[in-house]
Amino acid sequence: MLTLTRGAYAKAGSSLELNTGDWRLKRPVHLHRDAPCHIACPAGEDPQAWLARVAVEDLRAAWERLVSANPLPAITGRVCHHPCESACNRAQFDEPIAIHSVERLLGDRALEQGWPYPLTGPGPGAAEVAVVGAGPAGLSCAYHLLRRGWRVRLFEAQAAAGGMLRMALPPYRLPREVLDREVQRLLEVGVALVPNHRLGRDVSLEELRRDFPAVFLAPGTGLSRTWSAGGVVPHDLRTGLSLLTEWLSVGALPAFSRVAIIGGGNTAIDLARVLRATGAREVHVITFQAMPGPGVAAHEAMSAAPREIRQALEEGVIIHDRRGVHRLIIRGERVVGVEMVHMKELTRAGGRREAVAFEGTETILEVDQVIPAIGQRVDPQGMEAVLGRAEFFQTDWWGRIGGHPGIFAGGDAAGRCGTVSGAVGEGRRAAQAIDAFLRDATMAHEKTPQPIGLDQLNVNYFDHAPRADAPIVPAAERSAEVEVEGGISAAQALAESHRCFSCGECMACDNCWTLCPDNSVLKARDHCVEGSNYVFDYDHCKGCGLCAHECPVGFIAMIDEP
Amino acid sequence: MRAAIEGSAAIARAVAMCRPQVVSAYPITPQTHIVEALARMIAQGELRAELVSVESEFSAASVVLGAAAAGSRAYTATSAQGLLLMTEVLYNIGGLRIPVVMTCANRAIGAPVSAWNDQQDSMAMRDTGWLQLYCADNQEAVDTTIQAFRIAERTELPVMVCVDGYVLTHTLEPIDLPSQEQVDAFLPPYRFSRALDPRNPISIGNLVTPEYYSEARHAHHQAILRAREEIIAADRDWAAICGRSWDGLLAVDGPPDARLGILTIGSVMGTLFDARQAHPEFGAVKLIKLRAMRPFPVAELIGACAGLSDLIVLERALSPGGGGIVGAEVRAALFEAPSRPKIHNFAAGLGGRDMPLDLYPRLLARIAHEAPVQFAIFDLEPERLPPQER
Repeated sequence: MLTLTRGAYAKAGSSLELNTGDWRLKRPVHLHRDAPCHIACPAGEDPQAWLARVAVEDLRAAWERLVSANPLPAITGRVCHHPCESACNRAQFDEPIAIHSVERLLGDRALEQGWPYPLTGPGPGAAEVAVVGAGPAGLSCAYHLLRRGWRVRLFEAQAAAGGMLRMALPPYRLPREVLDREVQRLLEVGVALVPNHRLGRDVSLEELRRDFPAVFLAPGTGLSRTWSAGGVVPHDLRTGLSLLTEWLSVGALPAFSRVAIIGGGNTAIDLARVLRATGAREVHVITFQAMPGPGVAAHEAMSAAPREIRQALEEGVIIHDRRGVHRLIIRGERVVGVEMVHMKELTRAGGRREAVAFEGTETILEVDQVIPAIGQRVDPQGMEAVLGRAEFFQTDWWGRIGGHPGIFAGGDAAGRCGTVSGAVGEGRRAAQAIDAFLRDATMAHEKTPQPIGLDQLNVNYFDHAPRADAPIVPAAERSAEVEVEGGISAAQALAESHRCFSCGECMACDNCWTLCPDNSVLKARDHCVEGSNYVFDYDHCKGCGLCAHECPVGFIAMIDEP
Repeated sequence: MRAAIEGSAAIARAVAMCRPQVVSAYPITPQTHIVEALARMIAQGELRAELVSVESEFSAASVVLGAAAAGSRAYTATSAQGLLLMTEVLYNIGGLRIPVVMTCANRAIGAPVSAWNDQQDSMAMRDTGWLQLYCADNQEAVDTTIQAFRIAERTELPVMVCVDGYVLTHTLEPIDLPSQEQVDAFLPPYRFSRALDPRNPISIGNLVTPEYYSEARHAHHQAILRAREEIIAADRDWAAICGRSWDGLLAVDGPPDARLGILTIGSVMGTLFDARQAHPEFGAVKLIKLRAMRPFPVAELIGACAGLSDLIVLERALSPGGGGIVGAEVRAALFEAPSRPKIHNFAAGLGGRDMPLDLYPRLLARIAHEAPVQFAIFDLEPERLPPQER
């Protein structure tokens, strides 16, 4: 007969023989979901993932994770309009994570330390792909092709790589040195740059098709859209982009006193700020788009980054939003003013939206120069065969052009994004498509994002903490040559990483392990999948759901028993 | 060396000399000074122990349970509602037969809320399966605390050392604190035969079916009865080192042929000693101090009461609807004795009511003129109640 031990001590496992898991009606499962910052990033970065590496103070691992999507973090950390931060769940709690500042720190740290890209480089006999245009889309595509083991020849019309980053981004947003070093490092990993080669002038598309198994076209938008006010064009008309390019390459601009810039994009705002900084007395920006702000739909708002608009206003740029130019006032041959009119966007039959002028709201603005900055289109020279009569290449999500196998396109020339980070993303996706094309493989479907919202987190486990705001040079002390926004310190970046909610991704907080009333959450990292740090013991889990409820990051879901 | 020390500080020093490895408690008056003193010693590096701050007494008791089960000498202290909150864990510690030492700084139980002393709290824990030792003064509290660790560890049973709140905990007395060497000579390092070991995992406190539960309870009861020998041995061996004995389970003071006796428990003993000297007109009176409430010293009590015609049982708690708690146990113990005194059971000093020297003559005068009462609250002032409540 069994005898009872003192205190009813027993062999281990005796209580484990009772498989209480069969009481369960629902079971917890680990479920990775996509952080809103990841879904929002045009470049395809997963900031949650690299912030998690910052949080363990491994900046290099964070940077390596970052550059697995975007090879230009020192650049995008400065110039991106960071839709990740607008999407950040933390914005509904206190303030969004300063993702762009941490990205910039990682990019700068990599440049300082000379961290090499985690690339193995092309194998012997790897095919070579032609990339046309060394702007952000072309650079990104070249980099991602290298990562996938292909060789790249990169044709660039200008003497140096950079594209619009070099031609149109003023140094107060992107210092030349950062641009040069980031681009140079990318070229050094094995991209064969062919400068001063313009498609249609120095090399033809036919030659490329003949010599390369695949071609990626990212020539940018070289032609300014034509502009007139009621058919009238000033005789000395210059476009915004050409003036900005001239100032960046020559360092000087014609002396304007009172200027009206037409357009609401980044070029308009950048030029306005450069003109203010270089001595123009009055700089007006006239746009039919609306000033971004609460209650303004994204499609109605000015396409320039809100941060740039805010700083332009600080610097004295005058913005007339929801206005159109009715006519030019010309005395002799010179422009002496413009007549503006209020514009209203109306929905027409069939849902089509149209900006219409409100007659009777006309006002006169006295200016001595009118500069359109209303956008660009692809210069068709040399591209006619694939461009046809369109303004932009007609591509799918992967940059493929219907009817032209082996030809891919992206960046501004695809007419979809108009941002540096968007171009980086298009270059990356095209590289993926080119890789599949060259391997004769079918494209793996990109997983449909599984977003996770604030209501799926348990924010009771987070404390309110202020965001690390980057230092900004006061408006009165700014110049066009000196960067306006500064960087944050490594300590601040660490603090930001600790503010991250880690939306949808296990952060090994031990809540489930601590709180499980049945000790049915086990630490067994070797057996974990999907980024978890725990496994469930379904023999004993009774399905109470405590772990799912108390998971701060929404990584545990309760599902019906199969 | 004798020094004037507050009771709580003296108990804390005694605990520290026993080298506990884990201390966990939640503050409650009048226990607080004890744990504060220990925390200070740990913070200042005078005591190497893990102080686990918790959010409740339930957790404090759970921490010391786990610590002692894992092989660490563990200590906690509490009072009143804090002790009640520990109840479930105290039953577990008792049933698991885990050696833990606790100081109960006795305090009345609410409602109505009382911050003052009586012994209702520890009396309510009578059936948890702990040994219970009650101290009459702070020197006894120091010595009993040291003895308690050895008793607990040798018997594998938890020990509750009960000291009257304020009357002892907050009172300065000249106390002879032993030296560390004396304590080390008395109390060997803690070795727990059933200590948890991750290399050899076991389950504790398992589900026990009806076929075995009675046996578990019987074994626990027997273990507590047998603990009497360890209580006596600890008192004797400690006396050999420091020269002070507290007479094991029960102390008797007075001539063997005395006809009157007063049995009490806790610090009121000192008052009765002084009062007896001041009132020789009542003749020989035996004062019986119940030191061990669990195990209850039946044989010693029968011996102490031999020859008495009247025994007053004076206690500081009651079982409403039943009567005295100690009184009932004394009656039960003496029922089988060849001759037994008339038993007068009174409670007094509830909720901190003062127990002055004239309690002694009033008690003796009352039993001289009245038939024994089953139970009464001696110092009741009925006029403070509405008539229907008296």
